[in-house]
Amino acid sequence: MTTPNPEHVLRIAPAGLPRATILIVPPLFEEANRTRRTLVLAMRALAAERFAAVLPDLPGQNESVVPLEQVDLVCWQDALAELVSGIDGPTIIASFRGGALIDQKAKAKAWWRLAPVGGASLLRTLMRARVSADREAGVMSSLEGLQDEAKTAPLLLAGNRLSSAMIAQLGASEAQVVEPLRSAGLGADGIAGTPLWLRAEPGEDAAMAEAIAADISVWSKTCGIS
Amino acid sequence: MTEANTVDATLRALLADVLGLGEARAAALTGDSGLFGELPEFDSMAVATVLTEMEDRLGILIDDDEIDGEIFETYGNLLAFSQRKVTG
Repeated sequence: MTTPNPEHVLRIAPAGLPRATILIVPPLFEEANRTRRTLVLAMRALAAERFAAVLPDLPGQNESVVPLEQVDLVCWQDALAELVSGIDGPTIIASFRGGALIDQKAKAKAWWRLAPVGGASLLRTLMRARVSADREAGVMSSLEGLQDEAKTAPLLLAGNRLSSAMIAQLGASEAQVVEPLRSAGLGADGIAGTPLWLRAEPGEDAAMAEAIAADISVWSKTCGIS
Repeated sequence: MTEANTVDATLRALLADVLGLGEARAAALTGDSGLFGELPEFDSMAVATVLTEMEDRLGILIDDDEIDGEIFETYGNLLAFSQRKVTG
């Protein structure tokens, strides 16, 4: 018997046996809050297509009891791998933005990514928010200074206390090759919608949620899930 | 479209995405329109997001010490800064 997953997992499933489980890997940090509502709408749309959809809390995020400064990207990859190993039937991993940086270690039937982003870009934005907030408070800080500081101590970035390991891994992290993969962007060739993950005030987009679910459903058929 | 117009259109779309302005409000921005301190959505996190998106979408690199408060004071200032960066 394995230890039960200590983290909260939101699961929306159809009545009866699902065709497959879709593991939603959310964007990282604040981007997760900005997209959560639309992701859950997509999960409901997937359940209507007879998929089970699960959205886990990453350790250190949301309702997790683990302090954020104790985790890093490797820890998140391991947590997702462990979660997937406990799922019956085929799993498709659907990751969004920075979620694509932690989705490769889990064993899945297929992967689907929306607007994957490099860790360096996410880190740059977090560091800039800190510099900008510092300046408002009359404190002079710089990206370079913060990077030096991060080598030896956790850093508070836009409300996230991140460990040296997390910051180092983020700075060097790119989405890894996985097979089979559909990688979609926003727009005519991908998902119609707006980049809600950038939005200062959380919004929602029901049409985009439907488009996400439909695209994942088509991709799962291509990957042999009936 | 001229390069100046492209930068203008890219910047309006970017502000619409980050601040959730909607097309009409983004299109109505003038050179004098206030940004930081004027639009409630424009907080320090939004400033950071705008800078990173400017780099991605305009293909530029912005140094820390190039940023001062004035750039985000008005739409006109932000546009002038972007055009200077794009034309190098």
